[in-house]
Amino acid sequence: MVLAVEAKELSVGYEESDELLWAVREVSFEVREGEAFCIVGESGSGKSTVASAIAGILPPHGVTDGELRVGGRVVVRGNERDYEGVRGRLVTYVPQSPGASLNPYLEIGDQFYYVLSSLYGLSRREAVEKARAYLRMAGLEPDAVLDRYPHELSGGMQQRAAIALALSTGARILVADEPTSSLDAHLRLQIVELLKRLRAEAGLTLIFITHDMLLAGALSERVAVMYAGRLVELGPTREVLRKPLHPYTSMLIESVPVLGVKRPLKAYTGEPPSPGEPSGGCPFYERCPFRLEVCASENPPAKEVGESRRVACWLF
Amino acid sequence: MSRAGSSSPAIELKGVSAGYLVAEGLKSLRRKYVEVLRGVSLRVGRGERLAVIGESGSGKTTLLKVVLGLLRPVKGDVVVLGHRIYDIPERERWKVTSRMGYVPQDPFRALNPRLRVADIVAEPLTRLRLPESEKRERVRAAIKMVQLHESVLEYYPSRLSGGMMQRVLIARAVVHEPELLLLDEPTSALDVSTQAQVINLLNSIQERLGCAMVAVTHDLAVAQYLADRAVVLYRGVVVEEGPLDEIVRSPKSEHARALVASYSLGSPALLGNV
Amino acid sequence: MSALRGRFNSAAGFLDLARRAWRRSTRFRVGSLLVAAMVAMAVLGPYVAPYPSDGWGLVPRNAAERAGKPPCLEFPFGTDNLGRDVLSRVLVGARLALLQIALVVSVSLALGLFVGVCAAYYRGPVEALLNYAAEVFLALPAMVIALALRLALGQGFHVVVTSLILSWWPWYARSSYVYARAVVEMEYVLLARLAGVPDRTVLLRHVVVNVLPPVLVQAITDLGSVLLEASAINFLGLGLPPDAPDWGIVVQNGFKYIVSMPWVSMFPGAFILATALGFSLVGDSLREEMDPKMRRRWKLWF
Repeated sequence: MVLAVEAKELSVGYEESDELLWAVREVSFEVREGEAFCIVGESGSGKSTVASAIAGILPPHGVTDGELRVGGRVVVRGNERDYEGVRGRLVTYVPQSPGASLNPYLEIGDQFYYVLSSLYGLSRREAVEKARAYLRMAGLEPDAVLDRYPHELSGGMQQRAAIALALSTGARILVADEPTSSLDAHLRLQIVELLKRLRAEAGLTLIFITHDMLLAGALSERVAVMYAGRLVELGPTREVLRKPLHPYTSMLIESVPVLGVKRPLKAYTGEPPSPGEPSGGCPFYERCPFRLEVCASENPPAKEVGESRRVACWLF
Repeated sequence: MSRAGSSSPAIELKGVSAGYLVAEGLKSLRRKYVEVLRGVSLRVGRGERLAVIGESGSGKTTLLKVVLGLLRPVKGDVVVLGHRIYDIPERERWKVTSRMGYVPQDPFRALNPRLRVADIVAEPLTRLRLPESEKRERVRAAIKMVQLHESVLEYYPSRLSGGMMQRVLIARAVVHEPELLLLDEPTSALDVSTQAQVINLLNSIQERLGCAMVAVTHDLAVAQYLADRAVVLYRGVVVEEGPLDEIVRSPKSEHARALVASYSLGSPALLGNV
Repeated sequence: MSALRGRFNSAAGFLDLARRAWRRSTRFRVGSLLVAAMVAMAVLGPYVAPYPSDGWGLVPRNAAERAGKPPCLEFPFGTDNLGRDVLSRVLVGARLALLQIALVVSVSLALGLFVGVCAAYYRGPVEALLNYAAEVFLALPAMVIALALRLALGQGFHVVVTSLILSWWPWYARSSYVYARAVVEMEYVLLARLAGVPDRTVLLRHVVVNVLPPVLVQAITDLGSVLLEASAINFLGLGLPPDAPDWGIVVQNGFKYIVSMPWVSMFPGAFILATALGFSLVGDSLREEMDPKMRRRWKLWF
């Protein structure tokens, strides 16, 4: 079984006003080829940083540790990073707001041209051919979109164009950061359907980041829950949602307002810690209703529980 | 403290159409009128909880501006807290708006970075001519009501997290015991865990003050918890109206139906857990 | 989250900003030392000058034998053609230098800030009128105004100061206007007005207070530039009278003898330069400290 992504004790940090803050701490997980994998977390969880690490877009002043493999190639080892031949070729990225990936000064057709000519040396005609194919795959009518500027398209169309552009690189691993957060609700369903279809048709490995548990449930096969830079739970999505093991996962599920179900919202006190706040023990200690003494001083390691499930909690 | 005794509704809009003047083109000096709201009528009684459901481009922000006395509609009547607010000259409108509480969408833009939290929260009390000691008391009470510790009063906004900022804004909006509370996307900028806290907080405050509460949101699921009745806005027009439960159970308009359908993402999985 | 917080940090406390800058920026440290030295000179100058009457421009009694001496132990900066000790002239001149630039910058800043903020807050005809007025003055260089004033009012301190104020205030007006436009759109201003806070209070408490920091930092840098311009105006004889204890004037005195007695122009010139540099370094490093994005990128390239 080939692993699309493999992370071993991966840590990523940033320098912020003279201090080194770790946004991701010792995270280990695997993503199989062709899988739909979701990383769930709130702000400060480090999920976007993990996505950036996989996609190869960590800022130059970032610091890393541990190991990360993408498509079988080592891209991060210790503080060394090498994404040559991986970034854009094996893995591609769709950011949260399509405005960030679409150049506002270029027509859509031109954007495809620049990407394809620099990656594969295609001529303009060839690039437009490919663009048409990918745009159609993304559910857009090429003639309606190729000559337009991004701001002339609606939000939903922009997102589809961004996805098409990302796919045109030929990469088989698609990393999407909050693919539906900036969209109106009725568009979300469409994008979810699109991503499902693309996975089936093109055999993509889909890794997406979200804070929306419902989205995770709808789109992913396996889910990883992150809190304050650490991986706290990992497993098949349906099972994790049905029977969460880590107290934080339970909290996430219990606090989500679900339409049509009017149970009282259970609100846990406190907030997720900001990145870099040092914590000796388990990061969830302050808010955990089940905390034990050991939780305050020692960070629980990830343990296998049952087949294919992992939890980092002293309760197990 | 119940305000149900007052006869006039908190808000009453009848056939309101409003919009903006936009430059017609780069070369033209002419301006054209772009209509954003068309024939909107709604009514919010005293002590009632209403949700205005609308997505981007629905006109919900414009609707708030109209109610706040900031945008004169080209057609229709606007009565807020018993006053025809657009019959009052602009410089006097504060007499009505100071009886409202407004929580804007973006907390970063709603807090003056050079003022301490105590001064920010105390500002709505400016025109009330209260002695300093009473002002301080009210501020302290407001901070406690939003479940923040008193020490926060000495902070500058830069020391506050997103959730704390939102609470400070809510404290500011209720310190003067308003008759009407207007919330613009009160939970959109918050994490899931903080969202739940703020939702519960808003409800307990509304119950205590007995004020009318209007929450503008795009999130139907959140609206469920904040309102009994709802008005669905689509492209500047009210497409559906009524008790929120009913709208969710059997939406009548096409847009409302699409909206409710989009919330079916993965619900079965979560429902199983509940 | 922390990246967003950086936006606010810069505003809460000018002293914190200065403290941070001192810790992190060599340029700030160098600049502040230069500025501190200049201020010390301005305050103590007349008291520590070895020949105070020389400093004030008076010709000494033994002028003939003293004149034109190059720097030596008795006269570390040499003497000018009239026998006055250049060191004393420089020391005493610091006071006028500081006075001129402090007056010019503070008045133009106040005026410009007021105009810019009012234009942004009140919009409409007020905005158009004030911006137009600023445009008009922006087009007039200080020299030309100085020339006109010199002809109309005769020589003096008032000429150099007024001409500089008239030509500098529109820069602050424009700068304040731009920042104020952004501040006025902030929801906290809207909330204050909804609460019935009177306009004057809103302007002071919310608008001016948030527009001031970036404009103030610019003003600090300008102190250096104003010194250069003021010295130039005095050098040309359009401002202060010929024997006034001003650095620009001393440079002018020495200009005729630039080949035979270069030290007379050189030393005050060097002090003008050093002072302007000091303010420029301080202002620049403060501005960098204020912008969180710039702070980080600096490390990228260095």
